[in-house]
Amino acid sequence: MVQAKRRSVIKLAGSAAAVASTGMAGILASGRTPAYAQQKTVHWLRWVDFVPASDTLLRKELVPEAEKELGMKINLETVNGNDLQPRATAAIQSGAGPDLIQAFNNNTYIYANSVVDLSDLVEDLAKREGGLYKYCRSLCSDGKMFMSMPWAVIGAMISYRKSWFEEVGFNAFPKTWQEYHDAGKKLKAKGRPIGQTLGHTFGDAPTFTYPYMWSWGGKEVEADGKTVAVNSKETLESIKFMTSFWKDACDEGGLAWDDTNNNRAFLSQTISATLNGASIYIEASRKPDQYQTEKGKPMKDDILHSPLPAGPTGQFGMHLMQSDMLMKYSKNQDAAKEFLKWIHTEKNYEKWFISQKGYSTPCQAKWEEHKQWTEDPVMAPFKIAAKLGQAPGYAGLPNGKAAEALTKYIITDMYAKAVQGMAPEESVKWAEGELKKIYSA
Amino acid sequence: MTATAVHDVAAGRRPAVRLRKLEDERWLALALLSPTAVLLGLFIAYPFVEGVLLALSDARVGDPGHFVGLANFAKLWDDNIFWTSVWNTFWYTGVTTVFKLGLGLWLAMLLNRHFRGKALVRAFILLPFIIPTVLSTFAWKWMFDPTFSVINWTLFNLGFITQRINWLGDPSLAMSSIIVVNIWRGVPFFAISLLAGLQTISPELNEAAAIDGARPWARFWLITWPLLLPVTMVVMLFSVIQTFADFQLVYVMTGGGPANATHLFATYAYQIGIGTGLLSQGAAVSLAMFPFLFVIVVIQLLYIRRVEVR
Amino acid sequence: MIEGALWRRWMFYNIPLILFVFVLLFPFYWMIVTSFRPDGELYRPWNAVNYMPFWTNKPTFEHFRYLFEETDFGRWMVNTMFIAVTSTLISLFCGVLAGYALARLNFPFAGSLGTMIFITYLVPQTLLFIPLAEIIRNFHLGDTPWSLILTYPTFLIPFCTWLMMGYFKAIPKELEECARIDGASRWKAMLYIIIPIAVPGILSSGIIAFTLSWNEFIYALVFLSSPQEKTVAVGVTSELIRGDVFFWGSLMAGALLGSVPVAIVYSFFVEHYVSGLTGSVKG
Repeated sequence: MVQAKRRSVIKLAGSAAAVASTGMAGILASGRTPAYAQQKTVHWLRWVDFVPASDTLLRKELVPEAEKELGMKINLETVNGNDLQPRATAAIQSGAGPDLIQAFNNNTYIYANSVVDLSDLVEDLAKREGGLYKYCRSLCSDGKMFMSMPWAVIGAMISYRKSWFEEVGFNAFPKTWQEYHDAGKKLKAKGRPIGQTLGHTFGDAPTFTYPYMWSWGGKEVEADGKTVAVNSKETLESIKFMTSFWKDACDEGGLAWDDTNNNRAFLSQTISATLNGASIYIEASRKPDQYQTEKGKPMKDDILHSPLPAGPTGQFGMHLMQSDMLMKYSKNQDAAKEFLKWIHTEKNYEKWFISQKGYSTPCQAKWEEHKQWTEDPVMAPFKIAAKLGQAPGYAGLPNGKAAEALTKYIITDMYAKAVQGMAPEESVKWAEGELKKIYSA
Repeated sequence: MTATAVHDVAAGRRPAVRLRKLEDERWLALALLSPTAVLLGLFIAYPFVEGVLLALSDARVGDPGHFVGLANFAKLWDDNIFWTSVWNTFWYTGVTTVFKLGLGLWLAMLLNRHFRGKALVRAFILLPFIIPTVLSTFAWKWMFDPTFSVINWTLFNLGFITQRINWLGDPSLAMSSIIVVNIWRGVPFFAISLLAGLQTISPELNEAAAIDGARPWARFWLITWPLLLPVTMVVMLFSVIQTFADFQLVYVMTGGGPANATHLFATYAYQIGIGTGLLSQGAAVSLAMFPFLFVIVVIQLLYIRRVEVR
Repeated sequence: MIEGALWRRWMFYNIPLILFVFVLLFPFYWMIVTSFRPDGELYRPWNAVNYMPFWTNKPTFEHFRYLFEETDFGRWMVNTMFIAVTSTLISLFCGVLAGYALARLNFPFAGSLGTMIFITYLVPQTLLFIPLAEIIRNFHLGDTPWSLILTYPTFLIPFCTWLMMGYFKAIPKELEECARIDGASRWKAMLYIIIPIAVPGILSSGIIAFTLSWNEFIYALVFLSSPQEKTVAVGVTSELIRGDVFFWGSLMAGALLGSVPVAIVYSFFVEHYVSGLTGSVKG
């Protein structure tokens, strides 16, 4: 009760003026007198970035600048991406912790009760920068409020070895699953299979299995968000195709891979293609002397990117979405908002964006035009990653139930079970049963 | 303690009264148990009650929920991933305990004699038990990696295999791989503790038996093993509890995959509670572990008591 | 005859022992090689011609340099040490007193109290850590070493109490009675007669408690947030695993260095540990 009252005070103060925290209301809200303006501290929890240079940039440049310009202390903490969830949960349950917490994908829906609406900030930014992609909107907003502020999308594209595909007669990357299967079969015969994980890992597994299912016409639930629709002819077809695709074209070690294994396998030249962020290419270009092809040339010149192939109902993609949640329990909500606003100004955000070298795609359309995308043609396909994305939970909303299905790896396990020898009909029935438990609850 | 001493001196006559009180066993027991009671009461009893209430509610992250009775447990009853985890946990605990005991005992007997460098060997073999589990598990993960496995390389070059083995990708192999790592971690603890037990057995007993013509095997079964039983049971008790509730090893190695083949109670509870935000169900899974563990432990405790009485 | 004995000694003792030592220590050897291996060699598949699993020709200190210069590794070691030592001391203090009371004093419910303390050891951590987070918040202990120092005893005390109980039981009652006939109070008899005898037992429970706190992961992950407050296990995994890129060399270097202090403790105390455990289980 007391907390609820405090919060309304904060809201009042916040709408009145951004300087609320120095006013009387601010003092009441925080429950202590502000001795110095410096006392405002914003604790920002993020994952340890794939690109070390970006963390260095944030730590050494952007954060100190923000501290100076905004007159607050910013405490940037980075943890392993897998460990963000336990931290968020513990913080919410105990009512104390970082003010801003990074969320992946539709995890925002899991924490929807515990975050502050960021609509004004997001809509304002979207207006300034040419609109927010539908994909990002659906993951961060439930239609009523913005549960988090979109940060960037880590595009998932297939990294592949150009010369190896050419050797088996594919001068352009396969357009359909059937073609991809044929190419993979020839490549696997030469000891260069396609690498893909079907393990319990939050990145590379669902970003493959969901779009794959959609491209065959499968979906987990109807648009009403209640009727489980996974047990369809289309899904069954996709599972059948997957089992032969797996056997004929894929590295069968992939069943237990986590997000790191395919990077290592690709860089050590044991696989010819894999769905991943751009981290493989970026690592290869960072150390051209170390990663070389069998012909002794830098491997980076032999890597290209492509979206996933198309199936009978089209071509889809699902990417890792990163956003920042402002937590309800935070005592520094205004400061945190100020900071979000600051870091999302074009000038500041651009520095971070450039440091990512295309690894991350911003969520606003304007950035498609950025000259960064013309600098390296290999990275160009990532430009529209966010534009083409579809959110888990399709055809329903990517809400808490969809998040539950995602974090339980039901769609991924459906394919994994079939690949391991379960009859396709059985595995789809298993998935249907599991999904029904979630969607009927 | 110093604080009370000072206080006592200042109060002059009072220390006598107070110390007399401590002469009473009941008061002394109370005094001695109070630090433990405070710490455990605060940091276990209270959170435990909270945890039980959580399991009886439909709470999610950030939503305290309502009391729903045993609904979460009813849900678990129909959850085949849960039953897979139950089975996995028993299998994992059973197999590893048998091997840890067998190998640990063997190693302890090997160490229970005089040879050069004994102290060194004894200190070194403890390393697997010492190193933080998370970190050693990463090393194993790298050794099991399908693309880089040094184990595959060795087996291949020794001629045992013609193509690589997919250690963590195949559901049954993944379980076996995890079991291997757990055994690797646990054997030193068993060995050193059993060695302690072995050293209490007077060599004369064995010598006397040898003179009476008992074969080594018979000597082991009739003398060493019965005398070693109490220490064995205690070590097993602790090991079973630790293994049953194991989390770190599986979390790092497979995260419960492939296709839930390696989930244990703790990892499944974590995936549901933290990963999916269904705190109440996660708590229910954790709590469901309790009766199983309780029964196992009570059986062991009763057995220990019987052995001790004998 | 001697020939035969020698042959038997090798067959039944030396060779198995060598095998044991090899298997138990191989992962460490592997970690050492990895931590000195240049990155280029790390990315060779097992079936590559130049795969050199057991050796590297170009050892590098780069990974160690990274560990010490780019991360707070030194701090993490100090933190972990402080937390492990303090929580071990607290648990020993409680465990010794409680163990003594349960083993040697007659009072109502002694048996059931002992069982209750033991049962607390069974409560799974995954159930506790969310309610614990709340308590930590209420005491304003978040992000301080005290959040761990006060929570680790929850799984250390039951263990210490149980071990010490066994140890105290094994000490003959007459010792105390003699002291009391000589005029010592019960309190003094415990402090000056019984506890000194129990030192080996205290040492061995201390060693195990220290190892368990050194090992802990979940609480350390959830209760600490500043990089400079973290423990080795959490720090190493959160700063050396970057999404899908592992810093294998530094990770292994950190793992190795992270087990050194405990290894030293053990090499000093292993003798006591063995004799301590002996006493505690004799009873």
